[in-house]
Amino acid sequence: MMRGLFTKTLHEVWLPTLLFGCSLLVVNVLLTHVLPQIQQGLGGMFDHLPFMRSMLTALLGTELGDEITARTMQAFLWVHPVVLALVWAHEITLCTRMPAGEIDRGTIDVLLGLPVSRRAVYVCESTVWLVSGVLILAMGLLGHRIAAPAMPEEMRPELFRAGLVMANLYGVYVAVGGIAFLVSALSDRRGRAMAIVFGIVLASFLLNFVAQFWEPAKQLAFLGVMEYYQPAQILHSGNLPIGDLAILLLVGGSTWLLGGEIVARRSICTV
Amino acid sequence: MMSIITTELLSRNYGTRVGIDAVNLEIGEGEIFGFLGPNGAGKTTTIRLLLGFLRPTLGRASIGGLDCWLESPRIKREVGYLPGDLRLYPWLTGQTALKIIGRVRNVDLREDGADLADRFQLEMDLRVRKMSRGMRQKLGLIMALVHKPRLLILDEPTAGLDPLMQAELANHLRELRAAGHTVFFSSHTLSEVESLCDRVAIVRQGHIIADETLESLRGRARRIVELVFPDGETAARVQLPDFLKLNRRDGCQCYCELAGPTPPLICWAGQQAIEDISISQPDLESLFRKFYESSLEPQ
Repeated sequence: MMRGLFTKTLHEVWLPTLLFGCSLLVVNVLLTHVLPQIQQGLGGMFDHLPFMRSMLTALLGTELGDEITARTMQAFLWVHPVVLALVWAHEITLCTRMPAGEIDRGTIDVLLGLPVSRRAVYVCESTVWLVSGVLILAMGLLGHRIAAPAMPEEMRPELFRAGLVMANLYGVYVAVGGIAFLVSALSDRRGRAMAIVFGIVLASFLLNFVAQFWEPAKQLAFLGVMEYYQPAQILHSGNLPIGDLAILLLVGGSTWLLGGEIVARRSICTV
Repeated sequence: MMSIITTELLSRNYGTRVGIDAVNLEIGEGEIFGFLGPNGAGKTTTIRLLLGFLRPTLGRASIGGLDCWLESPRIKREVGYLPGDLRLYPWLTGQTALKIIGRVRNVDLREDGADLADRFQLEMDLRVRKMSRGMRQKLGLIMALVHKPRLLILDEPTAGLDPLMQAELANHLRELRAAGHTVFFSSHTLSEVESLCDRVAIVRQGHIIADETLESLRGRARRIVELVFPDGETAARVQLPDFLKLNRRDGCQCYCELAGPTPPLICWAGQQAIEDISISQPDLESLFRKFYESSLEPQ
């Protein structure tokens, strides 16, 4: 049974996954290539535009200090809005397919007319989401590695530390995906579900950003998933923030489970 | 005859709107069961409850003794379903559909699928996005029929099919009935089910207002009787019995509606100065129209 469901799901998602993966690879090649130039220009930029320091601090989620180190610049790659946007766009597309996407395009009747349980369909979609997340991030990392030889030696990434950043980013991927599955489970319209999840992710990003300048926002920063994404600290210390990762996985896991229960128990109406 | 579908007081509301209310059905194996009703009467809601898409607000539905809500995946192993508003994946071809359904059902369906494609004249390597409405409907039918289900649930299956294909489908359904399969055939047009079904239920505003064999419905249907008298004066003077209701008088001709059987009419006509008499077939269409009209209470 699962083989049939995987055939159907993979038929639909292999191309978008490949496109998102290739885009991430290309973006990371370009960003890695320009990182040394950016680092050289940053000092002057901070003199002329002091708020840029705060912005970069906000993006990285850590104080920059007086000097931007080579490692901090590597972290910049993994918090770049284009990189995050590609990762999130990919997973929001995937995680809102069932049930919101199937109901919205009216194909749910054909799908659930087969002898499959809703839980089986949900697990199948989730497996594809988790595996494709690994592929997407691996392609991003590959892009980084491809362009790394062009960097000055002290800026070249250590594979181990880059892997830890990937693990943290994958935690964010799981958390956002779990939320997307939950929103999709509650919705009959895919566009609406995607907009809600995008809004949540954007709010989280902005909350993390604003918390650097505004004290009241700092108290609420724990509500955003970006609070638990610390690439600069990981690259600096070489340690995986287990607590942050656990929170991300807990959020992702619990929202995913809740979404699964809702999918199994809700009535499927036509739209 | 064993029942394959049973519903007991099956009800489903959409907020304050009634989808269906206290529907009781008992459908035997090897039967072609017509489920008739105007648009929005509750036909599709009933089907969606049978397939476990909707949870009943009240009551229970079962197929083959299994609860439709709780054991939907098990039930659907032996069910073929064609949705009323059929939407297929745009990338799907007939071949891919057979591959996926075969893998889900764990059987090789290529041969049976090819036979059905020949029968319904469908190109199996064409993508859905390039198919006409009728072709998509044929593919939907093939997907519902290919595993030879014990129960076939068809929601307005002839939509988009040309008359030849409609006839082919009817033949196929008769063959299935002969082989002991059951067909639940939902439609809003009587002519579709009249030649095919053994029994029909009529649903209106969420309620079953009739559930009987077509024979019994025909017995209840009125016939049009045309009486020809020697002249207009005799036609105007004639005293009609209670079982004849005058619809129209046109010179020496009277057009009446006959309620009940024909022998009393023949007895009465024998005592009248009538030159000619003709009796039509039972008028099921007008009976059904009356069922459909909400202002009338037919039972």
